[in-house]
Amino acid sequence: MSTKEQRDDFTRYKRDVKREGKPFFPYAVFHDTVMSLFVVAVIIGLAALWFFTSGEEAGDAGILGPRYQSEADPAAIQFVPRPDWYFFFLFYLLRIFKWPESVILGTIGIPTIALILLLVVPFIDRRRERRLLRRPVAMVASVLVIASLGILTYKGATAKEGAAGAEDAIPEWIVDGNLVENAEVVLSTDPDAAALGADPGDAETLIEDGAELLVQAGCLNCHVYRNVGAQNLGAPDLTEEGSRERGLEWQIGHLKDPPAFSGGSLMPSFATLGDDQLLRLAVFLESSRGN
Amino acid sequence: MARSKSARQQQLEELALAPVEWLDERSGVVQGSKWFLFRKVPRDVSWAQTLGSATLTAFIVQLVTGVVLAMYYKPDPAAAYDSILAITNDITWGWLVRGMHRWGASVFIILLFFHMGRVFIYGAYKYPRELNWLVGVIILLLALAEGFTGYLLPWDQTAYWATVVGININATAPIAGPFIADFLKGGAEIGGETLARFYSLHMLLIPGGLIALITLHMYLVTRLGVASPPWSKEAAGRERVEVETRKRGLVEPRRRKSVSRKDQT
Repeated sequence: MSTKEQRDDFTRYKRDVKREGKPFFPYAVFHDTVMSLFVVAVIIGLAALWFFTSGEEAGDAGILGPRYQSEADPAAIQFVPRPDWYFFFLFYLLRIFKWPESVILGTIGIPTIALILLLVVPFIDRRRERRLLRRPVAMVASVLVIASLGILTYKGATAKEGAAGAEDAIPEWIVDGNLVENAEVVLSTDPDAAALGADPGDAETLIEDGAELLVQAGCLNCHVYRNVGAQNLGAPDLTEEGSRERGLEWQIGHLKDPPAFSGGSLMPSFATLGDDQLLRLAVFLESSRGN
Repeated sequence: MARSKSARQQQLEELALAPVEWLDERSGVVQGSKWFLFRKVPRDVSWAQTLGSATLTAFIVQLVTGVVLAMYYKPDPAAAYDSILAITNDITWGWLVRGMHRWGASVFIILLFFHMGRVFIYGAYKYPRELNWLVGVIILLLALAEGFTGYLLPWDQTAYWATVVGININATAPIAGPFIADFLKGGAEIGGETLARFYSLHMLLIPGGLIALITLHMYLVTRLGVASPPWSKEAAGRERVEVETRKRGLVEPRRRKSVSRKDQT
């Protein structure tokens, strides 16, 4: 529609408001005040519900979650990275992109496109019509956006976390995956094995310790190993991690500085575990070749 | 008939109003308040249009509780967690202030989305209100940035590791990503430098930007007016149907003159 028609519309709007409108104070202010008091009451209510149903101990959750978790500790990697609920939709979006090369779509690509579309809404939709039923594209778009935000938030909120009972599954992993035999092969063929101080004779202990570490260091808070664990942030399944034969050196380097070895990786550094434990974890991962 | 004021009464009134007039002459503050408060809004404006001021209320709750929290919170990795424990469990009403700040953030974000949804459904972003939509989207972004930076401050395990992943997500952006991540971290590891940066961003830069943009947002709303609900029969700016004057014949019988409800009563 032309600029002139738009201007005429707005002139008519201003004239109508002047003639038939009501003063902002006290009429609209009354509605606003009632609504604002309601908002403050809801906030106080939430604060009270949160506080009085939770305990003083760290992690003692009430209806609305705990008051706090234990103190931040960069060395204790036993954690579940979880943002505040209004970031769940972004957080769950990451799980949809499982291949390392496509992670950037979930982290930057789609959110940026969505933001640009949101910004230019008034410049795309320049029609004069304001009734939703006569704006089919706007209606479909808003239903789709609300539905996808709702679903992503819900999925993020109910996503399976942690690795309860993973410890009990370790003997099964070792038998089913032929891990000890695989480790013997890895340790005798890997060119760096000797330099790292690993001997094929230690295969069994290295595998057992590596499996313990996988559970205790919090790997399964993001990764899955033989159907155990959570898929936070689209972290890859580790069941067949060794099949790519990247070597022990690569595995250790990657654990120390993930983005340097795998571009776009969101994984934090596990360097605090120390070289000895990293070797055990690397042997375990390199020996994991599925069935 | 009202009695005429005595000379003494007039003198007192002038004296009382003198400071207000002094201020108005130099700043226009009284005129401005009148312009804001006594402007006309369309007569069909109702509850749905209170979402904007409700969002503002939630933001003011965040400002007030945030100022109180800042008096007790210590942005240092060695002391942050303990100060959170003290605020929550020891300081009088501390739990209420922290609880309101924590949950007020969620309410603020929800109301921002509701308010945006209302504006979208009403088509209120159309001419001449496009600029205000842009300002609103930037306010939403800054509010989310407040959520991200504030989440680290309690310095517990969830806060720490969620921020580790959050910063890693920033780092995946092309070109600028690694710089943003390094700037946010302030060092090789997330630690004291990071906490100080997040504290400063959360307390000074982002709220300052929000206050400025919200003021601009409200100025534009006042200047351009609130849009009527689009389906309203008495919407401001609606097109009037021209009254039919042509006489109708037999083929097209004239509609029987209906008695309007107003006349019946």
